[in-house]
Amino acid sequence: MNAIGKDIVQFLKSRGFLDGKISIAEHESLTETGVIDSIGLLQLVDYLESTYKIEIPMEIITPENFDTLAGISQSVTNLKK
Amino acid sequence: MAMDTVVCKNCTLDSKTPGITINAKTGLCQFCEHYTPLSTEKKEEYKAQMDALFLSPPEHRGKYDVILALSGGVDSSYGLYRLKKEYPHLKVLAVQFDNGFISGTAFKNAKKFCDLTKSTYFRLVLDNNLLRDTFKKAAKSKDAYPGFAKYRASDMCNTCMSIIKQKLVEMAIHTKTPFIVFAFSPGQTEVPFVTLTRPFMTWIRRLFDGQLKRMGVEERDLYLMDQDIITASPPDTEVMIVHPFLVWGYDKQKFKEECIRLGWAEPDIKDPNSSNCLLNAYAIKNHFDKYHIHSYAYDLSALVRQGNLKKEEAQKTLSTPFSEAAMEDVHRKLNA
Repeated sequence: MNAIGKDIVQFLKSRGFLDGKISIAEHESLTETGVIDSIGLLQLVDYLESTYKIEIPMEIITPENFDTLAGISQSVTNLKK
Repeated sequence: MAMDTVVCKNCTLDSKTPGITINAKTGLCQFCEHYTPLSTEKKEEYKAQMDALFLSPPEHRGKYDVILALSGGVDSSYGLYRLKKEYPHLKVLAVQFDNGFISGTAFKNAKKFCDLTKSTYFRLVLDNNLLRDTFKKAAKSKDAYPGFAKYRASDMCNTCMSIIKQKLVEMAIHTKTPFIVFAFSPGQTEVPFVTLTRPFMTWIRRLFDGQLKRMGVEERDLYLMDQDIITASPPDTEVMIVHPFLVWGYDKQKFKEECIRLGWAEPDIKDPNSSNCLLNAYAIKNHFDKYHIHSYAYDLSALVRQGNLKKEEAQKTLSTPFSEAAMEDVHRKLNA
């Protein structure tokens, strides 16, 4: 898992999203495994925008881009370029 | 409280609540440890953003600029009044969701504040029997919502609020209204502006559908936004959700005094957390029995952390016992 992925896991742990879950795999669905819902997703987006100084356009917030650690990390990496 | 229970030095969260850890060195819970107050610049930026949105709403072909979720309680009644005070030109459709448990006084308050602000009142009614059955299923369910949602609200309230959100987004697309306003406290949400695009609407629809399915709800379409309306709307359709209390600041006591001055009547509900919904106390107790989490603990602790509420007041609210008679009434109604 890359640094962004690890940072997201840390965020999820510190804010109580993992709810006793010890780890989450890179390609595991965050919504289907019950880690986050739409409101949690928006909190995560807010965190990523302020941490990485990026603006995440709402149109890219889709299950393809934002439902897994791998997808989110890739989206953040692309936006940082 | 058990001898070994540690309360956060700053807010009201304690170590006996599942998922809450208190750092032995700092004496702070994980939320206080990671808390960064909103800077003055950020507050000004939010205010400018809200002014830009509401002073000149985007051109649209609908009748309304804003759909406001109006429960008839203190927050939403004050929210409607303040919105129209700050932006008198806005055409507001105030929607009150009749979940079958709204107090008679809350209906009167909602209508009174619509008259006062010259807003259009709409009472959203769904099939009462199906709703009652859905609330019963929410009460019996466990883990239908993600872990963190358990801190945000009870399963019953999460269900009710999700229904409202789905139906209001649907109404906004249908009526071509660009904004939806929710009078959530800064303890209930952290993001003041949320733009919903078509793909995101479809996603949140699918997520709520899954949550209802996990509860065993069969007639789910009734509660979900109409996918055909989303699909038929232009690809660039957007609805923006605005949480104005994150911009204006939040002082419940002052809001209540102002509301009373304007003619708002206090309902006869023995619930320190709700001034409109009879279901609330039952929902809190149900949630606590299932998860050992008071569904207002996180909300109130966040208000304390932000300086919007005194710690003692939050603790008093959280420890106020509920009326057994009121809860018995709800139980009877749910099982009628």
